[in-house]
Amino acid sequence: MAACFRYIVNDVTAAIDFYTQHLGFKLEMRPARAFAEISRGDMHLYLSEPARMGGGAPMPSGEAQKPGGWNRIHIVVDDLDAMIAKFKAAGGHFRNEAVQGTGGKQILLEDPSGNLIELFQPNTPDYRPPGSGSQAAQR
Amino acid sequence: MATVQVRYIVNDVDPAVAFYTGQLGFKLEMRPAPPFAMLSRGDLRLVLSQPSGMGGGGQSMPDGTKPQPGGWNRFAIEVADLEALVTTLKKAGAHLRSDIITGVGGKQVIVDDPSGNPVELFQPITAEARLGGRSG
Repeated sequence: MAACFRYIVNDVTAAIDFYTQHLGFKLEMRPARAFAEISRGDMHLYLSEPARMGGGAPMPSGEAQKPGGWNRIHIVVDDLDAMIAKFKAAGGHFRNEAVQGTGGKQILLEDPSGNLIELFQPNTPDYRPPGSGSQAAQR
Repeated sequence: MATVQVRYIVNDVDPAVAFYTGQLGFKLEMRPAPPFAMLSRGDLRLVLSQPSGMGGGGQSMPDGTKPQPGGWNRFAIEVADLEALVTTLKKAGAHLRSDIITGVGGKQVIVDDPSGNPVELFQPITAEARLGGRSG
């Protein structure tokens, strides 16, 4: 099984390069210029350019879909500091500095269109990985 | 079992929990603090964060910018009967961004949660279009 997320991007090719080269995604299909599906484990990410039809189509009001906002996918990494250093060296853009939360520390990375990716390194016993049972909450 | 996690920013966690569990089949996993809840639906884990000064996912940016709901990026969930669900959602007062759109592989529509975050509802017409169907 899998779970699916759709990101609106300005350029599907640039987005494919970013996600496959830097974040371990695999290209599943690129059936049209304005659409691709990539995956990382059970996460399937649809990349849609604003287009006339399909997932990136405008609303009946004429309002166009666009990248950005704050809702995001969450990717668990082993060494957040090393990832941050690598992205900064490659010219990557972060929206904030790393912050510590209840379960771990995280930072908000932007893809080439300005969509957020939450990079997260668990570092406390309160962390519950996706896939863990409800029991872990009681720790 | 949830294996994929996404985070939505919401204005108020309680109505969001009620919407996702009451209308879209999510299960409440935990509600440990006022600005945070964790929900699940199949392989999808949805964490809801309210902008707050409590650290973690709803924290403001260093320049003071507060995270906010909305935008176009969304998760997609597969439903068995889109028209029936849309009727139910409309009766409950939910806001849909368009009418049902029929594409190559299925029918879809975007519904807004109470904070205005989009959720893509998808009913496949062909077997190939089932979400995650190719991998089983």
